[in-house]
Amino acid sequence: MNIPLDGPLNRPLYRPLDCLPGRPMDRALSGCAIAGQLKSTSPDFASIASSLHYQSTALGMEIETTENGSGSTAFSFGFKTPHTMPVRCNVTRWRNPSRHSPVTENTMQAACGLMSVHGRASGKLQPLGLNYVSTLTAALALQGGIAASIGQLRGLSTLNSNISMGSAGLLSVAQYIAGATASESPETLLPQHTAHATGFPFVSLDGVVFELETLDAGPWRKFWSAIGVSSAAAGKGWSAFLLRYAKAISPVPEELSSAISKFSYHRLSQICTSTGMAICPVRSIDVRAQDEDSKRIWLQGPWEFLFETNFKENLRDGRSSRAIGDLPTGNLPLSGLTVIESCRRIQGPLAGHLLALLGADVIRIEPPGGDPLRGMPPMAEGCSARFDALNRLKTIREIDIKSPAGQAEITDLVRHADIFLHNWAPGKAVLFNLDHEDMVRINPSLIYAYAAGWSTDSAGHASSSSMPGTDFMTQAYSGVARKIAENSGTRGGSLFTVLDVLGGVVAAQGATIALLNRCMNNTGARVTSSLMSAATLLCADDFQNLYNLPGRGAPASKSIIVNIYITKRGKIAVECRDLKTLARLAEILDAVMYTESDFPQCLDSLFLSRTANEWAEIFEQAGIPSAVVIEDLAELQTVAYLQPDLSPGPYTKVNSPWSFT
Amino acid sequence: MSITVHIPTILRPLTDNQKRVEIAGLNVIDVIEAMEQQYPGVKEKLVAGGKAHRFMNIYVNDDDIRFNDGLSTRLNDGDSLTILPAVAGG
Repeated sequence: MNIPLDGPLNRPLYRPLDCLPGRPMDRALSGCAIAGQLKSTSPDFASIASSLHYQSTALGMEIETTENGSGSTAFSFGFKTPHTMPVRCNVTRWRNPSRHSPVTENTMQAACGLMSVHGRASGKLQPLGLNYVSTLTAALALQGGIAASIGQLRGLSTLNSNISMGSAGLLSVAQYIAGATASESPETLLPQHTAHATGFPFVSLDGVVFELETLDAGPWRKFWSAIGVSSAAAGKGWSAFLLRYAKAISPVPEELSSAISKFSYHRLSQICTSTGMAICPVRSIDVRAQDEDSKRIWLQGPWEFLFETNFKENLRDGRSSRAIGDLPTGNLPLSGLTVIESCRRIQGPLAGHLLALLGADVIRIEPPGGDPLRGMPPMAEGCSARFDALNRLKTIREIDIKSPAGQAEITDLVRHADIFLHNWAPGKAVLFNLDHEDMVRINPSLIYAYAAGWSTDSAGHASSSSMPGTDFMTQAYSGVARKIAENSGTRGGSLFTVLDVLGGVVAAQGATIALLNRCMNNTGARVTSSLMSAATLLCADDFQNLYNLPGRGAPASKSIIVNIYITKRGKIAVECRDLKTLARLAEILDAVMYTESDFPQCLDSLFLSRTANEWAEIFEQAGIPSAVVIEDLAELQTVAYLQPDLSPGPYTKVNSPWSFT
Repeated sequence: MSITVHIPTILRPLTDNQKRVEIAGLNVIDVIEAMEQQYPGVKEKLVAGGKAHRFMNIYVNDDDIRFNDGLSTRLNDGDSLTILPAVAGG
């Protein structure tokens, strides 16, 4: 991309070091600024700009809103610190610059396969109804700018960070793509062919929609036995229950839904208490907004930082050599930095993966014998494809973290590390003598990053602390599930791991923010993020409206058409945000529009005359947002304009979303 | 009594890369003990503390043994026993 380097985005923010705010600091990036067209950008990027505005405000950054945009095909903003050259962050629709088709959140979800993964549970291709790809893109774009600034402080000359919405969308389904393209028994899970569950979330006798959760078969067996379900049916249900996280389906036997619907929610809660099962009603965002901690977390942003140490040895130009870490060993901004990761499942490993994609050396701690998830089918060259998708760039160390010898080994690793990242259950860090207080004593410059389930609040989250902090429980509690349900016409949230993925991005982002702060201020930090705080980020606009606070721009108006049409071959997602676009669509289809409300359905038969690819080409020329809907994720590797984002092999890998120049 | 045991990829290095093995046994633990004799190291991967390992699911004809008699689940001639690594939460 060729963008002039003399605009306001690139005006430096030089300030002498002694002008920086003193310690302690409540906002991680006070003194930094973001500059760009954050209030009136083109509709394709409006949600990204809005999320960026929210995140930047939460980080205490100055916001310099400009009116000169970068056109409708891209969105750029400058990230500035007092000590670096401004980094120009370029956000495009697609990594492939020759593709100009306008996009919307919904068409992006269709094109990247996200709609297909979400639709597996209901059997219908449908969008999430959340600004998901836009929020991910905003978080990754900001992280790219921050990482590039760290690179500059470490001696690199990185001035541009580039990312596309398509790259972010593909990253979100990377592990599902791995499963669909694995060399050994790849999964083919198409929405119209998956077994549709009548199960999750369940509905009680008194009409309460709720989620159940347990990570162990014992409570599951006791719970279903207590409500009169046979052991055999409960066992079938357990198998279906386990499929949720990996495959986004959960074909629970009808017997379970039927049995559970004969009990009131209150009675079910009592049974859960006595059997060790966790239960959570699917709440609305309005209800979540009334929780005691809700507004504070919204104002704080998805990360909680604690900057409490200051080290000043070996000062070089006002900055400690420990602050900037070892000198880069490559061209990526975090190359030469060391991350110690002790994480399982999705959120934490994804955070480590993103730091590795930024160049960090990630040492992953696994239990003796290796993480059991390495064997989770489908396999590719002896390892679970899904597991490898999140862990392929890491060095593995097998350590028993429960033993004193193992804890000593971790302590030794952390002594020379830059970031320690974990996602242990609450209380485990103290139990292992590996809490922030323990580690900061041996390494004051350490960034201690905790990717939690429920809360960034160190005091805990009273009403939810007894529940396992997993994706689906957090979707239910946070209001995300209800929002998805309202937009998808389903009872509850998505079996696509909406919050694990965004939570992983937020955790990596938090660690990167703390690193920049360390580079600038010689300060180690503890940073906590959570699935719950990721949910708040995802619904930031809803909370803003509920709290009746000043807006960040006009709210997006509802589109006139958001639909998926069956064509001669394949399906196409089409969205018309305004009457002008709708009129263009009508003209192309040679359709007569009588009323806006029945127009979308009138079009059904007209799309049968051409294939989805043919329509997409025509709509691209006409400037109508559209995308061929990816149903089988294995198809992604054949889409020409997505090739720069994917690497073929034993399974199809999603490349780094960032490029730096 | 012959039982067909389906071996997951992760355990195949222990079973000479065989995907299926025929083993005799009256119940699940019998089969695992017999496998251990032929393929040392298998039992440690499947059993912990006298129960099926938390991270391994064992099915008899598609039924999870945790919902039957666990490792004591009885077997009939021709049954199939499938071992699958468990999928954990997010």
